[in-house]
Amino acid sequence: MPSLFFCILLLGLGVTESQASGLAPPQQVRLDADKETQTLSVTWEDGHASTFDVEILRTELMEMVLNETVGVTEDQSTGKHQWNWTSPVPLECTSLSVKVRSRDGQDVSEWSSQQILPGLDLPDNTDSQMYPEGKTVPVGSNMTFCCIVEEGQQFGSLWYKDTLVKENMLSRRTYATTMTNQGPSNPSGTNVVCSNEKKMIIAGAVVFVGYPPLPSDLVCETHDLISVDCQWSKGRDTYLFGMTRQTYYTLNGRNCPKARNSNMRCGLEQWDGNWTLVARNLLGEFRLTDAAELGHRVRPVAPVNLTTPEVYSWNASVGWLWKDKGFERLSLICQVQRTSHLNSSTQTYTGYGLNTVVLKDLQPDEKYSVKVRCGSQKNFWKWGEWSLPLSFQTKMDRPVAPDIWLWMDSDNLGRVLWKPLTKSESHGQISGYEVILWSPEENSQQTLTLPRSVYSLPINVTDRGSKVTVTARNPAGVSLPANIVIPRYLPGKNGGKRVVIPRHLPDAEDTAISKVAFNGSGFPLSWVAHANASCGYVVDWYNTSCTQDCNVEWIKVAADNTNTMVQSGNFLAGVRYKFSLYACSSESTVLLERWHGYMQELVPSRTVPRLSPNQEGADVQLTWDQIPLEHQRGFILGYTVYLTNASHLTLLANITDPQLTNHTVRNLVLGSYKFTVKAYTAAGEDGGATVSISLEPYTYWLIMEILVALGTMTCLLIVITIACYRKRKWVKKAFYPEIPEPKLPGDWGITQGTLDVKPSPHSMVHIVEDSVWDSSKEALVTVPEEDEEGTGDEAADTDEPASLRYYNQVVEEGSSSQRRPHASDSSASSTGSMDSGHTDVTYTGIQTSACSLAPMAHFQPQPDASQCVGGGGYRPQMQSASCPEEPQTGPEEHLQPPVGSFGGYQPQCSWKQDSPEADGDGLDQTCLGSPTSVTSSQFLLPYDTSEEGKEYPSSASTWFHNLLTGKP
Amino acid sequence: MADQEHIEIDTLLDMPAPGRSRTGRAASLARLLHQDCTYLLELYRERESLLSDHTPAGDRIVSLSLSSPDLSSDEQVQLLHSALRKCLGLLECLILREEEEMGELEGEYETVRKGVRDRLGHLLHSTKVLLETEEDVTPDHQCNEEVDGVVGTFGAKMWTYRVLLELIHWANSASQTLHVLHSEREGREEI
Repeated sequence: MPSLFFCILLLGLGVTESQASGLAPPQQVRLDADKETQTLSVTWEDGHASTFDVEILRTELMEMVLNETVGVTEDQSTGKHQWNWTSPVPLECTSLSVKVRSRDGQDVSEWSSQQILPGLDLPDNTDSQMYPEGKTVPVGSNMTFCCIVEEGQQFGSLWYKDTLVKENMLSRRTYATTMTNQGPSNPSGTNVVCSNEKKMIIAGAVVFVGYPPLPSDLVCETHDLISVDCQWSKGRDTYLFGMTRQTYYTLNGRNCPKARNSNMRCGLEQWDGNWTLVARNLLGEFRLTDAAELGHRVRPVAPVNLTTPEVYSWNASVGWLWKDKGFERLSLICQVQRTSHLNSSTQTYTGYGLNTVVLKDLQPDEKYSVKVRCGSQKNFWKWGEWSLPLSFQTKMDRPVAPDIWLWMDSDNLGRVLWKPLTKSESHGQISGYEVILWSPEENSQQTLTLPRSVYSLPINVTDRGSKVTVTARNPAGVSLPANIVIPRYLPGKNGGKRVVIPRHLPDAEDTAISKVAFNGSGFPLSWVAHANASCGYVVDWYNTSCTQDCNVEWIKVAADNTNTMVQSGNFLAGVRYKFSLYACSSESTVLLERWHGYMQELVPSRTVPRLSPNQEGADVQLTWDQIPLEHQRGFILGYTVYLTNASHLTLLANITDPQLTNHTVRNLVLGSYKFTVKAYTAAGEDGGATVSISLEPYTYWLIMEILVALGTMTCLLIVITIACYRKRKWVKKAFYPEIPEPKLPGDWGITQGTLDVKPSPHSMVHIVEDSVWDSSKEALVTVPEEDEEGTGDEAADTDEPASLRYYNQVVEEGSSSQRRPHASDSSASSTGSMDSGHTDVTYTGIQTSACSLAPMAHFQPQPDASQCVGGGGYRPQMQSASCPEEPQTGPEEHLQPPVGSFGGYQPQCSWKQDSPEADGDGLDQTCLGSPTSVTSSQFLLPYDTSEEGKEYPSSASTWFHNLLTGKP
Repeated sequence: MADQEHIEIDTLLDMPAPGRSRTGRAASLARLLHQDCTYLLELYRERESLLSDHTPAGDRIVSLSLSSPDLSSDEQVQLLHSALRKCLGLLECLILREEEEMGELEGEYETVRKGVRDRLGHLLHSTKVLLETEEDVTPDHQCNEEVDGVVGTFGAKMWTYRVLLELIHWANSASQTLHVLHSEREGREEI
């Protein structure tokens, strides 16, 4: 039931709408497409309404493109309605369906039949295509490009230039993209490329994006008083090139084919007075206009056929012709530009039909190049073109007087100097110079002719007050003379100033010489005005380190000037120049002031000479000489002293007084030092001179120490001597007691006196070297040095027999083995006593004898050994019988082993080796039968058992060494 | 620079040289031409913002086969000479069209393009000398849009692209063929 009601309602509404419209639908709808402009024209008939609904769809996908109500009036002549629509998408891209209905307010008619505009993506058009192709659009415009893919291929991508863009599908084969605000293209246009899935280019289009022309500044003028030549500026670049898209110009409707690239000009044969320029390209056109009277726009062509009818030394005339006769009747203003090697200048001339001018103030013998341009004097518009240049050369004239100067190399020898004449001074090729020496005292003159390459003449200035005249000569004549007077008065005082002939004065004579700095262009000098500078001032300068034939330069300054800038192309860096200011008068030349300076200071070119160190105790004084002037290359500001350690320099001193050429480095410890001294200028330090010194102990101190030591020893000896002298009785008693005279029962017939007993060879004490045996009281034992360290047994193993010490065992009651530490003591006071005789025997010279050792070793175990009492003791009286019986040749054999064997002390029978005569002497063969006091001055020496009569030389030296070193 | 090089090549060509040197020089000339053509294509791609992996569709423009086993070296050179004449004609046409489209520009592309044309002409002279016949060295191509199938501006660009590829192909073929010929003649002379 409800559904039935709903159906009835819908049917009723439909009937109502159809009935309400009453409007007839448009008939004979027709579509016309202008694909170039992408415009669709829709026409229909029988639509009596003025408002229509238009609906446009993409046919294939039935997508709505447009649904719009438009007002279209009927064309009364045709009775048709026409409506145009511009499609944003090229009409080729895909088919469009269009239908129209009439509208009258809310009443609408039925839709017209649908009309289809077929696209190029229909199946019968199989190729790949892209649209629009080859369009030219303004910069900033938006465009939609579509790609129709070839039937059977797959769409890949769309590229605008080298940018991948997003596509939109319009139909089965058509894909589109819209580019907005496009920028200018390059000359070949902007490519839009469509590729398939294999990245192969299947279609593409080119769009040219640019600007319409926009020229400016149209100006028209005449060059010949007849035709017109218009020029303008190209203005903004259109970015459009090629025959199709480039800009074309017309002037007053006539083409301007030559107006291309940057040459924007166009001409007409006749002066019109009004001109219109039209610039046109595919994007539009632009118009420029100009208007003027002919007389206001005259820009003459360049004069032709320039000539120089008259040429002199100082002036010349220049003429020309006009190509167009009209200028001969026109008031003209002309510029003549003349150029020489010196300069270029322009002069202006005016005249009616001007065609010749006179050039003044030319230089003689000078090459000139002139060119001319003119303009209309009345209503001047612009200068015309320059003519072609014309060259000519002026005639020669006599030269100007040379600039001369007198320079004294010594008191009497000098040079007359003159500067070479410049091109502007010589007025022609100089052929030579003439020098006249005037001597007023002798009233004579001497004339010398010099070639043109000579600029000085040595003179002997003996005639004070004489005059020198120099003239220059060229083919045109002789110059005016240049004179200089040799001052009559040489060194003297004049107004407190030195009157001199300019010369190179030693620095010592310079009373005031100040520094002047180069300011980039020259040396600025200024001074106080001098009253006698009647003919001005002269500043000369030279290389200070120059000694002879110096190159002297000078400038002359007018009397009213008190400053100048000294400039020269000869200034060199690192060279000291001395500048002298002279006041010039007719009588003399007065030295006023001197300066010296460097164009550029450099570091010294060499190091300080003669650098030498001198040790003064713990100090080192460094001295050096000043760097020669030619090597200074700058004002020496001081010296720096460095301590050099490997490559590292430690600054010790900075001497800011350049006159100071020494420096003392104090408080140095012993060792080697290396010092570097560098001189420095404003430009820096030189490479540095280096010197080495090795500090050694002070020699005088060493000598002093030795003297002090000797003196101390001397004093000590004196004290000991005095002490010994005062205590001599004690000393004698202690060390050299009186030996009581033996009380003999009879008279020995010996007179009272000194008993001189020559030591018999047999009176020597025989020392047996035996470090083991010490049981006997009456034995001399050897005590190794090492005994003091408690290693007495080990001493036997030592390899140094010289280190053994021998002490006499003093035989005393109650003292079996008292040691005497010093051999000298032993020798001096070896005292022995025998019970039998109670005789004190002092042995001061004990020598060993081997002869008594062997028998003792043999006899000891024998039963009859009682004849030689004791094992090895001191038994002087007990050897006499047995010793002679022993062979004298065999002691060595018996001395060797055993180690524990000993030898006795037998002074009375052991002198054989020391006394060769003893062989046949009966006294030598026997021992003394009574105690004998023997004084010996010989040291106790170890006995050499291997070589007869040979002593150990090292014993004495060892003893002496021990004495000196204080060892016991 | 390019002009100076061309003058040197002209001088080389004018100089009398033995057969072996002529083939060697022609092979060297072809090798240089191949390098120039490759560079010209590179400049063209750069100017047209064409990616190197985007290749134009279409068949070969100059279709001559040098790979037939029945062809002798001289016949191959003969074919090569014909192909180079067509290439020169295509290049002349290319230059004409580009100057119409863009005017006479003076960029690096235009300089190299002119160099390729001159060098291609020299190579034609060289191959003519090698063939020892009165071969024509004039360009063998009628610049006709209908013949070339050039439709639209983009079509002209694609045609240009294909011509440049063709130049590279034939310059390379010339280099290889002349190198083989040079080797053969060298071996023959050594024997």
